[in-house]
Amino acid sequence: MSLSWRRVLLGSGLALMVTAALSACMVPFRPQLGTATSGLVLVVPVVLGVAAGGFVAGVVSVAIGFLAFDLLFIPPYGTLSVGATRDWVALAVYAAVMLLVAQVVSALSAARAEARRREDHVRRLLELSELLVGDDSEASFLSRVVTAVRDAFDMDAVALLLQRSHGLVVAAEAGQPWSEEQLAALMPRARVPVRAETAEGGIRTLALAATGAPVGLLGFRGPVLGGEDRDLLRGVANQVALSLERARLREQALRTEIAEETERLQKALMGAVSHDLRTPLATIKVSASTMRQTDAALNDEDRQELLRTIDVEADRLARLVTNLLDLTRVQSGALIVDLQPVSMPDLLEESLTCMEPVLAAGQLSLSAADDVPAVTADPVLIGQVLVNLVENALRHCPPGTPISVDVARHDEHRVVVTVADQGPGVGASSEGHVFELFHHRGPGQGAGVGLSIAKAFVEAHGERIWLDESGRPGARFCFTLPAFEDAGGKG
Amino acid sequence: MAVVLAVDDDSALLRAIGIGLKALGHSVTTANTGERGVSEAALVDPDAVVLDLGLPDLDGMEVCRRIRQWSDVPIIVLSADGTEDRKIAALDGGADDYMTKPFSMGELEARLRVALRHRPALQPDDAKELDLGPLHVDLVHHEARLGERPLELTAREFALLTFLVRHAGKVCTHTMILQGVWGPRYGTEVEYLRVYTYRLRRKLGDDDGVALRTVPGVGYRLTVKTTS
Repeated sequence: MSLSWRRVLLGSGLALMVTAALSACMVPFRPQLGTATSGLVLVVPVVLGVAAGGFVAGVVSVAIGFLAFDLLFIPPYGTLSVGATRDWVALAVYAAVMLLVAQVVSALSAARAEARRREDHVRRLLELSELLVGDDSEASFLSRVVTAVRDAFDMDAVALLLQRSHGLVVAAEAGQPWSEEQLAALMPRARVPVRAETAEGGIRTLALAATGAPVGLLGFRGPVLGGEDRDLLRGVANQVALSLERARLREQALRTEIAEETERLQKALMGAVSHDLRTPLATIKVSASTMRQTDAALNDEDRQELLRTIDVEADRLARLVTNLLDLTRVQSGALIVDLQPVSMPDLLEESLTCMEPVLAAGQLSLSAADDVPAVTADPVLIGQVLVNLVENALRHCPPGTPISVDVARHDEHRVVVTVADQGPGVGASSEGHVFELFHHRGPGQGAGVGLSIAKAFVEAHGERIWLDESGRPGARFCFTLPAFEDAGGKG
Repeated sequence: MAVVLAVDDDSALLRAIGIGLKALGHSVTTANTGERGVSEAALVDPDAVVLDLGLPDLDGMEVCRRIRQWSDVPIIVLSADGTEDRKIAALDGGADDYMTKPFSMGELEARLRVALRHRPALQPDDAKELDLGPLHVDLVHHEARLGERPLELTAREFALLTFLVRHAGKVCTHTMILQGVWGPRYGTEVEYLRVYTYRLRRKLGDDDGVALRTVPGVGYRLTVKTTS
């Protein structure tokens, strides 16, 4: 209120001063100027007064102008009486036009101020809505919202309370800290509807609701807001409520998605493990039941073949069970790496004895360069890696395709082991995924557990395993191991 | 003695099945991919096909569908993942029977025997009379006889019996029967089937020559009883 009175005074004073100055300039020449000209000049202080002080100042300016006009420029000078009729007309027109001008100009500036205020509201809303569509963590989002609300409405303090399972809790605050009693005053009482006007000790609350359900409360301390700011605040509160609701829905959607993905993976695991276990079992069962049922009809060669098949498939089943147990160990974090110096040629021979049938047939060849040093590794784990890589090659190659395992120096401190086959290779679409759990090349192709275990074991040594795509036919899997270095004898 | 085509990507299993079937007096052709399976089926014109559903190149169901485009050869599918829905999908897609790995040679032989025995029972669609062992169905007069005994059947029971006789030996899924007998808008009303198969079984009796068997969770199969 004091502000607008000061404005009126300012406008009126300005009008008074300008009127005085202009009159002082014109008084010596008043016979030459005539009433019309001096009336026209006295329009200036009125317009200035209105522009500076609004309509009330305008009216005061008109009064000042009227007095100055009548006293100084309408004969007889120095009195309020008016001589000629045309001077009456001039005076009346001056008063009427000036009042009209005061009204128009003040309305214009009021409209401009209103427009500016609206623009300001829109800008504040826009800033806040940009904040609301931002994609950051809930905590930082909430604190930015309360800070923005505090700044936009010049509050002393703002607090945002959210509905949690055990009631309303303060999720974010800005400005001066809240005391326990003040926070308690924010809490809604039973059967008392929460409204923007709810005020107690300068504390006001605003309910946040979205899609008909309560979301939380916004609490304020600070100046009482005027009608328009209150509307604006309510709009802001609605937006905040909506974006909180949106965040909640998004979290829910994410949780559902994760649950679905988990279920899908579990199904994939069940199907893949089931396939991998049942196929060798089926072979064993068919072979054994054939021997029991039709023994007389079998010749020696077939009987030997069936026995050999049972033997090989039982090994395969055993390896698979080992892999599944290893997988459990890796996933539960119970993997222990027992490092010791290992001679690679010996390890190759030892670990691949279970591949005896393919070794004997000359399908699998092992070689190690002469300069290969001993390595530091867990022989059990690396043996399993070798078996898995060779078995993977066997599974994906036509029968009889040569498979080679080579050991060579990689660099000064490393040895590289390469398992290469000359089969169809890994398709471009699968390259990035071969080590992924449950990745397999086609339906019913098994769990792909072997390669992911190989990867886990090599990485447990702090080393690397990769698929070499140097353009040669077939698939080449490589992994490195650290060379064994005598204590003190570095390099 | 029959010509059997076995399709599986696992060479050890193929070898074992080959030796076993040969010992039982069958002649065996093998294929380790779906494409090869389809072309072998065309080349050797087998009496039965044993088909693994999990093949590296073509889905087993696709192989089944392709063979069905020109041949009525009985197809027994093998599934390794043990899930019902794939089995049912394969049966709906034209397979006659299914087995879950692992299985014994005896089981495979029994299924082959059923498939081979009922192969001639697949009669042309425009046949006016159908026969299955002692069961005789006259489609023109809507009459069915079991040996000398006439069967008193309602229209729906007669339609169900006709459908099962047409697909004798084959495992018919619930969906197949409901759509074939009740109409294309049916498919999930398994309880209808329970009622009608119960009535049909009672009318067929259990000492006579045909058996209507329930395949749990999948469907029904009508077969000729053997004395063995």
